[in-house]
Amino acid sequence: MDTSFSSEDLAFQKRVRAFIDENVPSGMAMWTERSKWFEALREQGGWDVPKWPEHFGGPGFTATQRYIFDSEMGKQPTPPQLPFGVGMLAPILMNYGSEEQQQRFLPGIRDGSVNWCQGYSEPGAGSDLANLKTKAVLSDDGSHYLVNGQKIWTTLAHIAHWIFCLTRTSSDGAKQEGITFLLIPMDDPGVEVRPIITLGGSHSVNEVYLTDVKVPVENRVGEEGKGWTYAKGLLAHERSGLAGIQSSVLGLEKAKVNAEKIRIGGGTLLDLPSFKNKVGVLEAELLALEFTEMRTLARVAAGGDPGPESSILKLKGTEIQQRITELNLEAAGMFAAPWGHEAFGPDFAHGATQSYLGGRATTIYGGASEVQKDVIAKNVLGLG
Amino acid sequence: MDLAYTDEQNMLRESIEKFLASEYDLTARQKLVSSETGFSGQHWQTYADLGWLGLPIAEDFGGLGGDLVDTMIMFEAFGKGLVVEPVLSTLVLFAGALDIGGSEDQKQAYLPSIASGEVQGALAYLEAAAPTDLHVVETTAVSVDTNYTITGTKSVVLHAASADHFLVSARTSGSADDPAGISLFLVPADSDGVSRKDYPTVDGLRASELVFDQVKVPQTACVGNLGEGLTLLQRVINRGILAISAEAVGAMQVLYESTIEYTKQREQFDHPLADFQVVKHRLTEMFIEYNLAKSLCMKATMLENQRTDDAQRHIHALKFLVGKSSRFVGQNAVQLHGGMGMTEDLAVAHYFKRLMMIDATFGHTDIHLQAFVG
Ligand SMILES: Cc1cc2nc3c(=O)[nH]c(=O)nc-3n(C[C@H](O)[C@H](O)[C@H](O)COP(=O)(O)OP(=O)(O)OC[C@H]3O[C@@H](n4cnc5c(N)ncnc54)[C@H](O)[C@@H]3O)c2cc1C
Repeated sequence: MDTSFSSEDLAFQKRVRAFIDENVPSGMAMWTERSKWFEALREQGGWDVPKWPEHFGGPGFTATQRYIFDSEMGKQPTPPQLPFGVGMLAPILMNYGSEEQQQRFLPGIRDGSVNWCQGYSEPGAGSDLANLKTKAVLSDDGSHYLVNGQKIWTTLAHIAHWIFCLTRTSSDGAKQEGITFLLIPMDDPGVEVRPIITLGGSHSVNEVYLTDVKVPVENRVGEEGKGWTYAKGLLAHERSGLAGIQSSVLGLEKAKVNAEKIRIGGGTLLDLPSFKNKVGVLEAELLALEFTEMRTLARVAAGGDPGPESSILKLKGTEIQQRITELNLEAAGMFAAPWGHEAFGPDFAHGATQSYLGGRATTIYGGASEVQKDVIAKNVLGLG
Repeated sequence: MDLAYTDEQNMLRESIEKFLASEYDLTARQKLVSSETGFSGQHWQTYADLGWLGLPIAEDFGGLGGDLVDTMIMFEAFGKGLVVEPVLSTLVLFAGALDIGGSEDQKQAYLPSIASGEVQGALAYLEAAAPTDLHVVETTAVSVDTNYTITGTKSVVLHAASADHFLVSARTSGSADDPAGISLFLVPADSDGVSRKDYPTVDGLRASELVFDQVKVPQTACVGNLGEGLTLLQRVINRGILAISAEAVGAMQVLYESTIEYTKQREQFDHPLADFQVVKHRLTEMFIEYNLAKSLCMKATMLENQRTDDAQRHIHALKFLVGKSSRFVGQNAVQLHGGMGMTEDLAVAHYFKRLMMIDATFGHTDIHLQAFVG
């Protein structure tokens, strides 16, 4: 066992750093130069889809390379990639989709020209996802499903071209059986999207109503009734992606800089012992979490699954993200209050309030923390 | 010792709760929040008519002569209803300062018309340079003939837009961080040289950035002794802390109670959420946090009422504890509501935001913990 990098790994690290220095956009260019950035990544040999296997155009990183790649990328803001296509649907299509589906959907997912949203949760099916009721009935001639039901909390449904849905095709047996994975275009006349405004007034989630939507069987992924198994495998991927460890490392550094701008007594907020201790605790925990992720990656590289341990990353990672937002909120102080068009006080104040409010969702979506603990207790510790 | 409320106090609480139950559901409140002024002038008059605005004002000046415990009861009830009217600014901070440090003439000039609902005031003390250091005052008041000329900028002045008068902290001598040499001045809101940038706040209130550009006030506008404003300011802020702590206690009560209700009725895995032990324990912890905050709020209020030596220390402990427990109760209320806790359609989100800002108002947890441990 050894934490130092081999000379190949060091060379790789240098290459990644050089690439970033040369190509990363900043400020507004983050949005206007997005596609250029992803193209450049792609030209490096699949760096735009670092987690995809080589067979599908991914880079085929070793675990150490993935770790290096993620760490280096995490050291500065980079243009965001919508998570639902590249990170969530693609692995399912690669594992369970037909070749025809792979050819049809993966290119649009990869180049970002087609936006996807995830239609799992329903009013009665949140933590207990298997309780979902959206009904898909196969036509007599077996050519299509007729889908009726309601999804909720569907992130970015209002800008999505397609939705991947879990639907119920049978109510026999256990709840987990009889769930079928369908791909549905959002421009179908039977699809209606209604916005939900969340804490802080932002619109990112929606209700999606499905009324007599005709879905050709070609849009079913894998076998009928096996959707739960497919989705579950994907959730593990989703979770490890939600830990956001590198961005927390970056965020914590930023929070320290912010706190240093706030004058208190003879010094700054960062000098206040109880504040400084909170920063220290977070730093120590992040060091540990980073290496926990490394261990998970090593396991995947050795042919294992991210498995239930990904719940540890999700659980701790999101909690840490939230605590960092608390530091910024505290630094903003009363300047967290202004909520008009004009900003007042420290430059980070408005963003601090937004992140604190929006950040409350991180311990709810992708499996709420309480339920994650159940998953670990059951699947890792063998408790009940 | 007597910890029971008097009949009058119970009546006060009941009358506020009755008013809120009939007039102040979330829809009605949000309508006020998005209205032009951000609150209801009609409600304001009702508060005056029902005697609430006269509650802490001495009988000599048209009030009921209530004490800080009465104010606590009122703010606890307001916290339950998420009241948006400027009672904190006008009654606790502005009238409070006059009550503590004003001359007979000043009291006579303002307090009766505050009690009757005609006049509103705001306290302009916070500055961007060191927002939590009360003694850092860069705004200056320069003596010219029989006048003072005030110049400087005050930030996040709650309910400045609706105020008829401001009470402004300004430096009459010393350097910007000298504890001595700070004075408080009454400034009519429509004075020449006063300009405002108004905005809504994240928790549904209104506030302003206030700029004073050579604003002239007479010497008689000084409240309390010249150069000794810091002590007065600290006492007013203490009353503010007691009031918003009581408000937080009320808000926390609503949050833990509504989270109990929600988790009893919401089912997942074929059980009400409240059946799960983790949820039960969490709700119990919320209840405990609420109770600790309530206890300390009562004690600190009574000590400040009696002006005991250890009152200040208790107020620091209180502000720390209220911040900590509000965070716990607020965050877990959202968490246990799941996605529903994130929507602005439910009251939870609005209580959560108000508690978040109460923590920031008059200094957050770490500052008061530091002051408490010394
Ligand atoms: C911002 C946001 C974005 C989202 N995006 C998407 C999306 O794109 N697509 C999608 O399909 N879904 C999405 N979701 C939905 C998300 O996955 C669900 O909110 C989540 O699964 C929790 O379900 P729920 O909201 O119904 O809460 P509930 O399941 O009702 O849970 C409420 C609370 O009870 C707790 N709880 C539940 N069961 C137990 C138990 N057995 N023991 C102890 N505690 C328990 C939970 O931990 C939680 O704290 C999103 C949610 C949010 C908030």
